[in-house]
Amino acid sequence: MKALMSVVALIGVLGLLMLIGMIFGVIPSNTVRLVEGYMPMQVLSELAIFVAGFAGLSYLANSMGIAFPRFWQGVLFWVFIQTYLKFRIYPPIPFSVRAMYGTVSFVAVFMWVSANEEDWKKFRQPILNVLDANTGFHKALRTMYLILLPLLIGGFSFMTMKPSVDEPIELRTVHPAPPASTKVHGKTYTLQTSQNPYRVNLEGKYDQDYSNKLIVEQGMGRLMAPNANPWDEKAEGYLKYVREGGEIFFQNCHFCHGDNLNGRGLHAFAFNPIPANFTDPGTIAQLQETFIFWRVAKGGIGLPNEGFPWASVMPPWEQHLTTDEIWKVILFEYWHTGYYPRTWD
Amino acid sequence: MGSVTRTKLMSIMALGAMIGLLLLPILVAIPALASDGGAPAADGKKEGGDAKVEKGKDVYYKTEGIVSGPPAPKTTDSEKDYPRYNFESRVLLWFANQQHLYYGSFVLAVPIFCMVIEFMGVVTKDKAMAKRYDQLAYDFIKISLTAYSLTAILGGILIFTFLTLYPAFFQYLSGIFRPVMHIYALMFVAESGTLYIYYYGWDKMKEGFLKWIHLSMSVVLNVIGTILMFLANSWIGFMMSPAGVDEQGRYLGNIWHVIHTALWNPLNLHRILGNMAFGGGVVAAYAAYRFLSAKTDEERAHYDWMGYIAMALGVAFLIPLPFAGYWLMREVYAYRQQMGITLMGGLLAWLFIIQATMIGILFLSTNYYLWQALGRMRGAEKYQRYIKYLVFLLTCGFLVFITPHTIVMTPAELKAMGGQQHPVLGNYGVMSAKNGGINVIITTTVLSFVWYMRGNKVSTVSWSKFGNIFMGCFFFFAYLNIILLAIYGYYIPANVRVGLSVPQVATTLSCLFFMFALNSVMMKGAKQMGPIEWGKISARSQYALIMLATAFTWMMGLMGYIRSSVRLFWHVNEIMRDNSPWAYTHTVGFAANMISANVLFFWISIMFVFWLGALAAKKAPVEAKAAVPGRAAAPAVGH
Repeated sequence: MKALMSVVALIGVLGLLMLIGMIFGVIPSNTVRLVEGYMPMQVLSELAIFVAGFAGLSYLANSMGIAFPRFWQGVLFWVFIQTYLKFRIYPPIPFSVRAMYGTVSFVAVFMWVSANEEDWKKFRQPILNVLDANTGFHKALRTMYLILLPLLIGGFSFMTMKPSVDEPIELRTVHPAPPASTKVHGKTYTLQTSQNPYRVNLEGKYDQDYSNKLIVEQGMGRLMAPNANPWDEKAEGYLKYVREGGEIFFQNCHFCHGDNLNGRGLHAFAFNPIPANFTDPGTIAQLQETFIFWRVAKGGIGLPNEGFPWASVMPPWEQHLTTDEIWKVILFEYWHTGYYPRTWD
Repeated sequence: MGSVTRTKLMSIMALGAMIGLLLLPILVAIPALASDGGAPAADGKKEGGDAKVEKGKDVYYKTEGIVSGPPAPKTTDSEKDYPRYNFESRVLLWFANQQHLYYGSFVLAVPIFCMVIEFMGVVTKDKAMAKRYDQLAYDFIKISLTAYSLTAILGGILIFTFLTLYPAFFQYLSGIFRPVMHIYALMFVAESGTLYIYYYGWDKMKEGFLKWIHLSMSVVLNVIGTILMFLANSWIGFMMSPAGVDEQGRYLGNIWHVIHTALWNPLNLHRILGNMAFGGGVVAAYAAYRFLSAKTDEERAHYDWMGYIAMALGVAFLIPLPFAGYWLMREVYAYRQQMGITLMGGLLAWLFIIQATMIGILFLSTNYYLWQALGRMRGAEKYQRYIKYLVFLLTCGFLVFITPHTIVMTPAELKAMGGQQHPVLGNYGVMSAKNGGINVIITTTVLSFVWYMRGNKVSTVSWSKFGNIFMGCFFFFAYLNIILLAIYGYYIPANVRVGLSVPQVATTLSCLFFMFALNSVMMKGAKQMGPIEWGKISARSQYALIMLATAFTWMMGLMGYIRSSVRLFWHVNEIMRDNSPWAYTHTVGFAANMISANVLFFWISIMFVFWLGALAAKKAPVEAKAAVPGRAAAPAVGH
């Protein structure tokens, strides 16, 4: 047991040193990279390793008779979580989410240190000491708190009330609810039931299972499925339409949405927010094809009231593309990102 | 002997009367149903063979029916359609509705608890234990009785608010639901009669055969209560997903279609479970309040035990609640995609993040309570040292579960992030991850329960080592399965991903049922390390119970608001438009403040109800008090 805990503790210490090194720039921040496609689980796994490491350290310290005070364990663990979220995860997490995570981790630390009576006593003892112990050190601490706390609260109040010239916080509705139907080039499409006319099998019938087999495969990067190259001259049916959609995309869309469809096109950073990233699982992968059809056809100007603050400069493409071209470009977007359009059956 | 027989006869007659009361509204309704509800005929139509029969098409069932009612009124922003004070009428209605719902839920849930606890008392072989259960059930119904009067008063206030502030809408709704509303009123009479006989007959029917009659009364009481709720649900179901009317809102003569709308059944299930969890939470909070204000060890022991039972019952219904909610949302999407997107991805999405936070708080509070409860058992120390790992699992599940898809941020943060979606956290913001998160949380709660149930025991069965290893492996693979399925969800089409929730839920429920069953078998005849010292629990645990109840109350208010506001500017979705000046969606901040105000009012008023209950307890006769369990009498096998 002791050997196992020693190994675990060693991993914890190494991880901690690495994190500190990355924060101060001693160790390059990409030494242990967050790998695209694996990042969510990687973050959780790293946290699990740290927790195991700290448990190992605590075990070893206890067995050597140099127990680290529970109060400082709790405080430092919370500080560690905040540090990890702030410095390890890139791009930076917006404050609102860090505040949520900070509160939850605070509650978690409280639950841990107060889970049983003995631990709770150990944890609160230093706090009680500051409040009523009669040693010189604690009296000095109390005096310091008496001066510092009002200053901190006053400072915080001042900073909160100080007029700011920053742009206000926005709660943007990324996916506003679509209308029941939309009229494009004189034809009405019911969003719940319409289908992409080019998502067809070799017999020309609508077949999502068939097209699903031919989309780009996701893994460590995105690769074309075997024998599913739309730019093959012999490509017919669905793959041919994907190619045509791709041509339309590169003639019209890639300037903003990027040649990797990740929202980082040539002009992308002229806009705020930058254009939608189709490779993110939270965009087209969550939506029906008809939703995309409606958004492409009507553009930012066609967003409903719910889409406030309408922060989209996408043109209403129905003014520039035919209906068929819009369907084909959507086909290409799903093919290229390796996502399936949402269906409800 | 003669008097006993007479009492038996009277009891059977009382039960028969209750069943008669239950059936009466149905019998009354049969002629109405046979004549297609008897809703008012459309203007200008006369009975007689030569009158032209106009037919309409059902907006949901797509069947044809004879137009039997006027179209939905086209209201205007005027004093006629929307009489008003110098205040937002919608807020007044919101308040009246919410308070009625809180009390309604409570008085529907508590008799179900009574039924369960009374039944436990009847079947248990331990006489002392039977008495304790019986006393507990009696305590529950006593609290419910005062709340019952308040529910009726609030119901009256709600109807008056509708009549005076939204007369056009209420006239239309009551025109369509006329027979249902009459049945509802009769059922309410039946509920009242049954409840009073059940309560006042408690002492007269406490032994033998009479006790079974009394128990049967509680079954009848709960059947009536449940039907009452189903009928009320049909009104809100109709407002969200109307059926039985044509596009103009004209009633087509089939009352079953009007009741049985697309969302009626999911709403029914969700509300039953929600009411039970809420009722458990409120009673647990009552017990916590009494525990914290208790003057003697005996009182503390009793209210500690009461809090535990109420919490356990509440949580038993909380565990399946997210799955019922999932079904409801699925049906919402199936009914109208726009409605689903407005809820989960659009305008109201942030309210769902708040909801996720509340659900997380509920489970965290439950786990915390159970860990604290381990402290009153000797021998539970062996589990306490591993609590930190459960905290980690819960926290990870919670963090994933509350990560928003639409992040609140400044434009500068948006620019720094390089787009609306965060490459790491964006993955936590979608359903696949969230399903994994909540299932991890629930499985961990099940694990906490298992630890609690074996806290002061050591299994003596010959295969205990194998059993422990098996249980450990079962939980390990359950976590693994849930997490792997959550990851797999990113790589498959959305409609398949929705189906993945089934094996995830099945995994969680397998842990619940198999592990509870296996644990019970392993702990049969187990060696006791010491008794459960009722009353020796920390005060923190009681605050956890109060937190649990407050979170339930807040979440109910929130979900009611979400469900109602998803209709946006419709009184009846796509049928009757809301043309009042308040047909806009409130800001998240205003809604949160309003919900908090409702929660505060409910808790202040229920404190009054608790206080009344305490007054009655102080005046209780000596023998009734003697039945209250003391710490010394508390058996070790109380959980």
